[in-house]
Amino acid sequence: MRRFIQKSYMGLVFGFLYLPIAYLIFFSFNSGKSKVIFSGFSFKNYVNLFQDEQIMQALLNTLIIAAISSVVATILGTMAAIGIQRLRKLPRNAIMNITYMPVLNPDIITGVSMMLFFSVLGISLGYGTVLLAHITFNIPYVILAISPKLRQMDVSVYEAAMDLGASPTVAFRKAILPQIMPGIISGFMMALTLSVDDFVVTFFLKGVEVETLATVIYTTTKTRINLSMNALCGVMVIVVLIILIIANLPAKQNAKKREE
Amino acid sequence: MKNIIELQNIHVSFDGETILDHFNLNIRDKEFVTLLGPSGCGKTTSLRAIAGFVQPQAGKVLFEGKDITKLPPHKRQVNTVFQRYALFSHYNVFENIAFGLRISKTPEKEIKERVHEMLALVNLKGFENRNVAQLSGGQQQRVAIARALVNNPKVLLLDEPLAALDLKLRKGMQNELLRIQRQMGITFVYVTHDQEEALTMSDTVVVMKDGLIQQIGTPEDIYNEPTNPFVADFIGESNILPGTMLKDYLVEFEGVEFPCVDAGFGENVAVDVVVRPEDIKIREPEEEALHGVVETVTFKGVHYEMMVRSANYLWKIHSITCREPGTKIGMKIIPEYIHIMAKEAGTAN
Ligand SMILES: Nc1ncnc2c1ncn2[C@@H]1O[C@H](COP(=O)(O)OP(=O)(O)O)[C@@H](O)[C@H]1O
Ligand SMILES: [Mg+2]
Repeated sequence: MRRFIQKSYMGLVFGFLYLPIAYLIFFSFNSGKSKVIFSGFSFKNYVNLFQDEQIMQALLNTLIIAAISSVVATILGTMAAIGIQRLRKLPRNAIMNITYMPVLNPDIITGVSMMLFFSVLGISLGYGTVLLAHITFNIPYVILAISPKLRQMDVSVYEAAMDLGASPTVAFRKAILPQIMPGIISGFMMALTLSVDDFVVTFFLKGVEVETLATVIYTTTKTRINLSMNALCGVMVIVVLIILIIANLPAKQNAKKREE
Repeated sequence: MKNIIELQNIHVSFDGETILDHFNLNIRDKEFVTLLGPSGCGKTTSLRAIAGFVQPQAGKVLFEGKDITKLPPHKRQVNTVFQRYALFSHYNVFENIAFGLRISKTPEKEIKERVHEMLALVNLKGFENRNVAQLSGGQQQRVAIARALVNNPKVLLLDEPLAALDLKLRKGMQNELLRIQRQMGITFVYVTHDQEEALTMSDTVVVMKDGLIQQIGTPEDIYNEPTNPFVADFIGESNILPGTMLKDYLVEFEGVEFPCVDAGFGENVAVDVVVRPEDIKIREPEEEALHGVVETVTFKGVHYEMMVRSANYLWKIHSITCREPGTKIGMKIIPEYIHIMAKEAGTAN
């Protein structure tokens, strides 16, 4: 009985989570135009998708914005985290709390406030403002990913490296960077995901000409029935699946090595 | 012999709190110098001033006569064995030791040779591919020493290198460090709070307290001729009691006059008298002018420790024979074992 309840609970969860996605992908192969009546199997939506210039442009924008903003945020965030770590306790705690604020803030507040800010400054909305916004909301996540690593880190190895003749820059690269690298990578991955994911902030700051995947899906599905969107979702799910598999592969191999 | 390092009037303070004051120290080439003092007295800070991690607010650091006060750490020809090893956990033993050579872009072949030389020096042959985290404390210590020596420094700074090891291992490492120092023929500046370690290993001991140097001397000097009660007390156990220097070579304490070997204090001058516990011989009461009653007896392994009460002072006596508590005894102290110290200004007791 208990097993049965457990099983049906799992079933419900997976049902609610994955059934809509499965449904979406299933209809991406519909040869007809309907979202409810399946008239036959075809790849035509996928062909359309890759020929749709607006979507391809949005995809490119999404990737460029995600790449630039996460790289810049990772660099700035790493520097900030190191700076914060070197502060005394009181200012350090104060700054860490300020860092948390944007993380806790609803996206809509970040979006609206930045939009107002830029318009007060007379900066026209577009690529630049979206990039700035993404960098800004990514930095705290990078800081939060790196700070624990810095706290655990043995600072004396930095001095040991300089003692052995390394200049401060080389000592940083050879003694500190390897120790905080896991934090930097997870911060970078988080920034990348958040940037690709973001809809709300981008929506307020994109102006008229810039579209990302998220905004393009939103505007298209709102105005007309378009099965290319289903195909797009299908592609995205498959890409995520592949990334997940790749990300888990080395872990398994390492585990195997350790067992041997 | 020439000085390899000179610290001239060094002053260091953190947040307005003075850590080192009027710090003057000359270290001769190939010498084993130990900075000795209680925790927090500024030993690490002095080492860091030599290594370049602390910028003194005043004073100079000289290396072979040249002013290096403003030189950053990586340009100084000294290397450090850090208090908690500070090994690079992302490198194996070989790469840890090779670090300094890689920085100076030494050819690969020479790196191999040097690292193996160092591994042999610290008795770690065959450990090159080990992960440093898997090594015992003693082995990590050896890696830290090898890593610091690989650059052929003229001076090695060691900050309480043996503090984390257990007693037996510590004894063994003390001998090895001395062997390494002789073998390499370089200067060691050694920090410890362990007086026994300082006395057995050093050519010169520098006793510190609250950022001030109390005394500099050979272990024998420091032990036999402490300049003040702090040094006397810190270096082994002592009986320190007030007395009066009646005239040259004659001192009075506990109402008894004793001939002594010190002179030059003046006549009828209040002084501090130091007598080591092992320098007091137990005699029958009628044989000696200084009497006391045994209060407690504790067996300490090689000797007994007795607390003996005389008129105004509770004496600590170490002896291989003992007397029952309550016994009245006579105490014999020969002139050579009585050490006189001038009273410090402000310590009127
Ligand atoms: N970077 C620093 N900032 C503030 N105070 C310090 C710093 N380094 C050392 N101190 C203080 O200086 C004093 C001496 O420290 P230290 O040289 O480490 O002593 P020791 O090595 O003899 O135990 C201590 O009271 C310590 O708290
Ligand atoms: Mg210390």
